[in-house]
Amino acid sequence: MRDSAIITIPSHPKYLSIVRAVTGKMAELSGMAESAIEDVKLAVDEACSNVIKHAYKGNVYQKIILRFKTSPKGFEVIIEDNGLKVHPESLVGRDLEDIKPGGLGIHFIKKVFDIFAFDEKKKKGNRLRLLRYIKGKDGD
Amino acid sequence: MEIEIVVYKGTKVMELSGEIDMYTSPELRKELMGLLQRKVSPLLVDFKEVSYIDSSGIATFVEGLKGIKTYGGRLKFFSIPDRIVEIFNFSKLDRVFEIYRNLDEAIKS
Repeated sequence: MRDSAIITIPSHPKYLSIVRAVTGKMAELSGMAESAIEDVKLAVDEACSNVIKHAYKGNVYQKIILRFKTSPKGFEVIIEDNGLKVHPESLVGRDLEDIKPGGLGIHFIKKVFDIFAFDEKKKKGNRLRLLRYIKGKDGD
Repeated sequence: MEIEIVVYKGTKVMELSGEIDMYTSPELRKELMGLLQRKVSPLLVDFKEVSYIDSSGIATFVEGLKGIKTYGGRLKFFSIPDRIVEIFNFSKLDRVFEIYRNLDEAIKS
């Protein structure tokens, strides 16, 4: 079954709990297993946190658009902003052996999503596409 | 997220509840750094009621651990829900944080 939803949130960290709630519900509709749902919620939260920190440099008065799509193929989230261009090559998480604050978010995103790609055609801001393929009967 | 500091058998315990994310972690950082400024040790952190943690929450604790080590202190975590243990394991932080099953184990260690 195909489902879709779009939400627009202000770029304020207090709205991250709403992002997690909607992500969780959409992942549930896709039939994903509980443990995978938690991973997906964390990953989408981290992607939006990155938008606030890096694209908007902490400006809480901008907006972030999230588009969710579920299909037999997988679970897709497109995250769009109008902030500073993110250079994908600069998005490298820290070496997990190098224990220091920060640099983990990108690992959480790449752990759960099979596709992590910025749309290079977008002129202003960023459009990040995250796709998780359905891997088993229950999506786990 | 809510933070409560209690004293159990003479040891300071930070009881956390709710979600630790980019919105709430600054408050956690403020509380943690305040305790570190007073050179509290050991500092125990009760995760039992923590329902969520993201990388900003983890970064706060990594910073706390580095801070407490500057004066030879110890930061001990206990009653961590499985989901959060998984996140610590994936981040390889289970190797650097002192993790105990419950309060008594954390106190006795």
